Amino acid sequence: MLEIAIGIMLCGCALGAGIAMIAGIGPGIGEGNAVAKACEAIGRQPESKSAVTSTLIMGCALAETTGLYALVIALLLILLAPGRFVDVLMNAVG
Amino acid sequence: MKKFDPTVIAETRYIAAFVAVLSLLMEGVFLVLGKWDYTVLLGNLLTGSVSILNFFLLGVTVTKAMTKDEKDMGSFMKLSKTYRSLMILAVAGIGLGFKCFNDVAVILPLFFPQVGIYARGLKLRNSNVVSEGGEQDAV
Repeated sequence: MLEIAIGIMLCGCALGAGIAMIAGIGPGIGEGNAVAKACEAIGRQPESKSAVTSTLIMGCALAETTGLYALVIALLLILLAPGRFVDVLMNAVG
Repeated sequence: MKKFDPTVIAETRYIAAFVAVLSLLMEGVFLVLGKWDYTVLLGNLLTGSVSILNFFLLGVTVTKAMTKDEKDMGSFMKLSKTYRSLMILAVAGIGLGFKCFNDVAVILPLFFPQVGIYARGLKLRNSNVVSEGGEQDAV
């Protein structure tokens, strides 16, 4: 019974990590769109290239934050959570 | 040596300075709490440097993507994002997997560049408000 409980726990952690990584799709698409629009802006006003590039880099870095949160949560779920959960279960069982 | 865009270098320099300041602050907090040891320093150095490298690679990718066709741009950015995520995953995995790195000191520096960007946005917004107020006074 204990083995089944640990198995379900590990399965839940792995599934949770996988679902968390879905959030990594959005920033990639958003960055692609942002760069395309920045190119249009530079095409219209070539003299503002430096300002547009600077804002674009900062915007892309900010857009990546959600992906980074997802990555960290997935890492915690894979590397740290199983050990802690198993410890909690073992203590509860005694 | 390969020439990089001056904007990318300037922004990376700003982010590196901000990461260094926040890292020092974090080390100080650990010292005050009495939980500082060499693992905190190692974890901070590991992911602090990787977060700066990630930002620099993002800047290089953006400047490179601007020279590509509109169709290739999106896929180029997505590919870069995937590779950079894998890099962070590997480094953070090493940091969390080995006991010689403090877990908290490994995770926190990954978000320092974003904190720096938010702080810069706030600073710019405040300076805009001040300059608008000054213009109104002059009128």
